[in-house]
Amino acid sequence: MNHKITLTLLAALVPVAGSFAQTPKPREDLQFLKKAALQIDQHIATFYRRKNLDVPKVTDDATFLRRAFLVSVGRIPTAEEALAFLEIEDPAKRESLVDYLLKSKGYSSHMSNWAFDLLRLTDGRTGSSASNEPYRHWVRSAMSDNMPWNEFTRRLVASSGDGWDPQTAAVGYYTRDRGMPLDNLSNTMRVFLGTRMECAQCHDDPYGTTERYDFYQLAAFTHGQTTVGQTNMESLWQELRDGDRSQSEEYRVAQVLWDRVYGMSLGGGGVGQIPLPADYQYRDATPGEVVGARTPFGQTVRMSEKRVESDGRKKLATWIVAKTADQFPAVIANRMWKRVMGKGVYEPVDEFIPADKTTYPDLVSYLGTLMVELDYDLRAFQHVLLLTRTFQFGASPNPSSIEGGDDFHGRKIERLSAEQIWDSLVTLAAGDPDKQPARSLETRIFVGGKPVLVGKKDMTQLSKEVLALKSEKELRSYFSKFLKEVQSASADSESPGSMMAMTANRSYNKDAKVRASELPSPAPRDHFLYLFGASDREVVDAFSREPNVGQVLSLMNGFVQRELVNKPAAHLYKSLEGATTDKEKIRRLYIAVLNRPPSGEEMSWMLDEVKKQGDAGYRNIVSALVMSSEFLFLQ
Amino acid sequence: MNPFPKADELTRRQFVSNAARAYLGVHLFPMLGGTLASAAPAAAAKGGTAKSVIYLYMSGGMSHLDTFDPKPKNKAVMGKTEAIPTKVDGVMLGNHLPKTAEVIDKVCVINSMNSTQGAHEQGAYTMHTSYALRGTIAHPSLGAWVVKQGGRIHPELPGFVAIDSSPEHVGGGFFGAKYSAALIGSPDEGLQDSKRADAVSPEDFDRRLSLADRMNSQFHNRYPNADVKAYEELYREAIALMKSKDLSAFDLSQESAATRGLYGSGRFAQGCLLARRLVENGVRFVEVQLGGWDTHVDNFTAVAGRCKEFDQAYAALITDLAKSGKLKDTLVVVATEFGRTPEIKAEHKDGRDHHPQAFSCLLAGGGIKGGVKHGLTDSSGGKVKDGLVSVQDFNATIAHALSLPYDTIVMSPTKRPFKIADKGVPVAALFG
Repeated sequence: MNHKITLTLLAALVPVAGSFAQTPKPREDLQFLKKAALQIDQHIATFYRRKNLDVPKVTDDATFLRRAFLVSVGRIPTAEEALAFLEIEDPAKRESLVDYLLKSKGYSSHMSNWAFDLLRLTDGRTGSSASNEPYRHWVRSAMSDNMPWNEFTRRLVASSGDGWDPQTAAVGYYTRDRGMPLDNLSNTMRVFLGTRMECAQCHDDPYGTTERYDFYQLAAFTHGQTTVGQTNMESLWQELRDGDRSQSEEYRVAQVLWDRVYGMSLGGGGVGQIPLPADYQYRDATPGEVVGARTPFGQTVRMSEKRVESDGRKKLATWIVAKTADQFPAVIANRMWKRVMGKGVYEPVDEFIPADKTTYPDLVSYLGTLMVELDYDLRAFQHVLLLTRTFQFGASPNPSSIEGGDDFHGRKIERLSAEQIWDSLVTLAAGDPDKQPARSLETRIFVGGKPVLVGKKDMTQLSKEVLALKSEKELRSYFSKFLKEVQSASADSESPGSMMAMTANRSYNKDAKVRASELPSPAPRDHFLYLFGASDREVVDAFSREPNVGQVLSLMNGFVQRELVNKPAAHLYKSLEGATTDKEKIRRLYIAVLNRPPSGEEMSWMLDEVKKQGDAGYRNIVSALVMSSEFLFLQ
Repeated sequence: MNPFPKADELTRRQFVSNAARAYLGVHLFPMLGGTLASAAPAAAAKGGTAKSVIYLYMSGGMSHLDTFDPKPKNKAVMGKTEAIPTKVDGVMLGNHLPKTAEVIDKVCVINSMNSTQGAHEQGAYTMHTSYALRGTIAHPSLGAWVVKQGGRIHPELPGFVAIDSSPEHVGGGFFGAKYSAALIGSPDEGLQDSKRADAVSPEDFDRRLSLADRMNSQFHNRYPNADVKAYEELYREAIALMKSKDLSAFDLSQESAATRGLYGSGRFAQGCLLARRLVENGVRFVEVQLGGWDTHVDNFTAVAGRCKEFDQAYAALITDLAKSGKLKDTLVVVATEFGRTPEIKAEHKDGRDHHPQAFSCLLAGGGIKGGVKHGLTDSSGGKVKDGLVSVQDFNATIAHALSLPYDTIVMSPTKRPFKIADKGVPVAALFG
């Protein structure tokens, strides 16, 4: 007894001793997170009282389990995970589950899908051999490392330099949109500040307050998105392109430098001024007139139209994250709310509404404050939401009674995203998908589709060397040396170096049974993900959850049947091992697919099925469960 | 209260009636049919002759100057593109469309399109729905409107099919999921998974469905939600489709090598061929998308590439339909969200930016006059000078070609009034 007390005391004392040096940050302090969750619940309770609504019931364990998994890690639990949770009797088990999920690898996979949709992150670019892969890898890593949102935003918007350097690969944010900087800027405002300016690209917004002039003032910050020294290669490239050498290896090697090194780099830093377009139509200025940068709201930041500067993007980034009052934290807070709770506190989430103009001023302003208190730690913020009672309310089939927002009266029932369905099916077919390694960044140099100089030089090194070249002369001499290297190496391509590097690289083709976040982006048109409405990532959040007949056909006759139902080796059937009675087998299949035991009525249907059809009966049961709406919808 | 179930009930009855009317040529429910007809204005009776639509969508914003509105006298705006003559005097096309030039006598080129939306998402949304993008409501796509108002032709095949399209552009909006397109990702594979897996016996297949059906009605009772219900209905639809003797409409392998060759080998080309097969078999509205028109960078190389995909396929489609006499019944549309600037941006390797002020779209078949140019832009292709056609007018014209009432008001579940082409009015001059 005494011994035990001592131990407990010791355990309690250790962190306290540490905290003399430094009190834990709120985002690392579970007690803080719990208190914040309570605060949120109190705001919701106040709202119920005001509206005379009764408090919805908290869901049962099984529903909570499935919901918590799908919301935080984007897949259903494996049968093992489900049983472990359902069978333990511990009043704190919901909290422990949330903690387990947020620490698991699945969390960042699921967040990556969200970020890829928001940033329109595709692997390749049309009409160029330049790719977005290093940028994709940067974003994927930022999600794995739980990079704070303000830092993430700052690094994207202020980015500059080498597209292959892991430190600066965020330049993909701009180079992805090369040639359409104005669209890029509209998206920046929408994604990070919830301000829609697409209209003002071409004309004064008739519904809002933004004028075309304002838009160009803002565009001045990011104007001048050049490359790092591509002009040094201009004449060499022309010679190769226009001459009869365009089918030669020389041309293909040059293309690596032109597209994949220079084309993926971002020079300058934003000049701070921009000429008005040729079709500028208002009386306040003339087409071609140069305007200086100026922010449209918040603390005003300006740059002169008379000077060409090189820190416009940095200034814009700082303004977005630090000088727009509560707008920046409020927008990301509402986005996270939608992710966890199903609907935004107000919708659409990319149209910011000041707290005092919303239906829930206190809640909205608290969420913004909380985001700041948690240092923009998105995982900690979602942790708070997952700890609330509000998250645990039972589901409701009815749409919100409040226009343009949630009434918090039970979670609104909604079909899973394409990625959630895919990741859940992969879990059933192949077991815990997070045991598979994530896709790695392809850094080998490809010439004409073949990797070259493997083990000797990769894109990161090549890019670094090429971007350091100061003149056309240096470039030409580097190029001829590099060309020789490639040519002499391709003579003996079966070198042991290439074999080694082959195994080091991990990429997945579209048929791989891995997380959607590791598959090619966007999903090809003949993929399950496309059919179920995955975004093609050309515009922000272009996913769809609409049912269509192809989805149903796919469930009845496609992937589900091939990889799951009719495949004895599918992971799901492993859960039957050791079960001796029909009843027990049926129960285990229910746990694996729907993460709940069958009701008495269901058990009698299913027992009947097994009695009539024998082993085929089990396949029929699995098929029916996966085809059920209960599988496709989040309760 | 959920407004959906009741709305669903009505539309379902109406849908059955429309489908029966279209397929059997009879009024099964004269009363319901009458409501619809009496709502139609007198003008609709004199509409076009189209029964179906093949809607070819050039995603990204097709450069009008380099395709259907060249300005041979203004070298500054033409860049590397040259104008070529066509079968019809006075109609010139960009030099990457030689085969289209040969069928232009059957096509109406509208050079005076004008949109108020200059960004892709908004532009494509308005083109497809006639309404501006709002965060608070999902408007039905044109294909959904056509099926809703005109009914299906074939009772088992989907009314609306989209090939290679972006799912968010071909949705049913507030009409609900049963009006959204059946998606085809790969024309060669047709409608994926439309056959029972070999490993499953017919008996087991039926048993699975009946078990799932029990599970679903249980779930639906607990959550009477429109989307949940939509899946239940889609199962019934999918099964009817699987059993349909006309499922082979989706099977391109039944076309001769010669026909397939006529269209060309690309995805878009095969999509056009599939569209023709589907329309022949009673699909009301087929959209085929050709992407890659967002030519901010290196416009001239990119446009040449796009035209290569488009030219042969489009000319083959028109020729093929004309030969079989189906062009009369089929409206072939070429649409895009906006054009591209006359200005050529040297700093983007001769790129062109978005230009909604003036652009070009095409209509052919279904009673539309061929060999005609409608509307006029100024000498640089920058502004519409004559015969402006708004996106809404364009969509009203499509409705009119189908003899669908373009000014019938349909209430959304939120009790707001909508029309197939918003305030658009058909361009009467285009009808022969």
